[in-house]
Amino acid sequence: MATQTQVATEPTNAAVVEQKLQKLRELYADAPEVGKAALQNGLPMLTKELAAPSAAQTAGRIGARQGKVSELTVFLPFVKGGAKRLRGFLQLLEGNFRAADAVGTVHDMRFVFVDNDTKLLFATAYDGDFDPYIADFAAKIPNAMDLWLCNFEGYPGMRNPSAAADWIASHQIAAEAWYVNSPNLTATETRRLEGVGTAVDQLLDKIG
Amino acid sequence: MTTLEETRTGQDQSVEQTIQQLRALYADAPEMARVALEHALPALKSQALDAQAPTESAGRIGIRLGSVSELTVIAPFAPGGAQRLRAILRLLNGNFSGGQKVGTLHDMRFVFLDNDTKFLFATAYDGAWDPYIDDFATKIPDEMDIIFSAFEGWPGIHSPDVKDWIVKHQIPAEGWYVAHPDLTVAESGRLKRVGKTVEEFLDKVGN
Repeated sequence: MATQTQVATEPTNAAVVEQKLQKLRELYADAPEVGKAALQNGLPMLTKELAAPSAAQTAGRIGARQGKVSELTVFLPFVKGGAKRLRGFLQLLEGNFRAADAVGTVHDMRFVFVDNDTKLLFATAYDGDFDPYIADFAAKIPNAMDLWLCNFEGYPGMRNPSAAADWIASHQIAAEAWYVNSPNLTATETRRLEGVGTAVDQLLDKIG
Repeated sequence: MTTLEETRTGQDQSVEQTIQQLRALYADAPEMARVALEHALPALKSQALDAQAPTESAGRIGIRLGSVSELTVIAPFAPGGAQRLRAILRLLNGNFSGGQKVGTLHDMRFVFLDNDTKFLFATAYDGAWDPYIDDFATKIPDEMDIIFSAFEGWPGIHSPDVKDWIVKHQIPAEGWYVAHPDLTVAESGRLKRVGKTVEEFLDKVGN
């Protein structure tokens, strides 16, 4: 529905977009050639993106959120022997993280060994805000959490959930930008939709 | 032919072995971890016996679970690159219509590291590494160059050296979990439409 407000704000919005584009041109004036050319070629799409309402939000205490899905990115320092233990643990698990299934709010997570096995990069996508997310882990899978996090300096243990949350936040680096393809699809909603999809397929099979 | 019984026994033995290896690995772990391992063993055992397909290679580099792969890159900024990238990310404000255009991108994050000298780019995507990169080059070359020209040595998305640049800076994950490994971006789009249609249908039936 085209309201009067929309019509009235349009010119202002166009002016804001023009300002932003101007700022981009200035920023890219000393960019490498490939970047300058790309800016020129990409202007039509950029104009559309700059005109859209903000899609970025926060995940509470720390981290970015888009719609219902948030990001958590931490670099954790290994204790002596921690890298070897965690690597062995991950190899034995072979990608079967049933504990994460049990939590039900995790979309994905990765474990990346960096800086000659002195640190781990852990990056995950999850539903909702930081504090309830960590509290959920502490309530549902404290053992699984202790098993992998005990390999890092200063980890206070999941039996002490608020100290554990502080410890994680202290190693977290909030993303400057975060994109999710389906920002309103929680892990739970995805499971429900998969169920609906299966039911519809079966129904159609029966009719056919 | 192996009977189901034999397969089961073989599996039991290999799980038993795995658990022994875990105990050995955790023998010199902090007390907290040894206790946690003993508590977690029953669950770990049943999960190992009930295992799904393990992670596989995503092709040239990176790992994949089901249909979904991971790509993690850490690279140094070019001079002035951090400032340019931060400004463009702030201006875009989370609106990456290019991501929708590619159609195989689940999520991506940009994280600035070490006082803006390095960045981390991490994404979850569908399928194998090479076709994924090819897709970016075909569908959103300008967006790629606008963003990645902030990094040291980025040769340009059309350069024959671009894949080597990415591989050089990519660090494959050693653990990768996806809640819905069989759900591609395309399939989740289809399911959203199916869900909506079913709701509309039920509404009509209800009226």
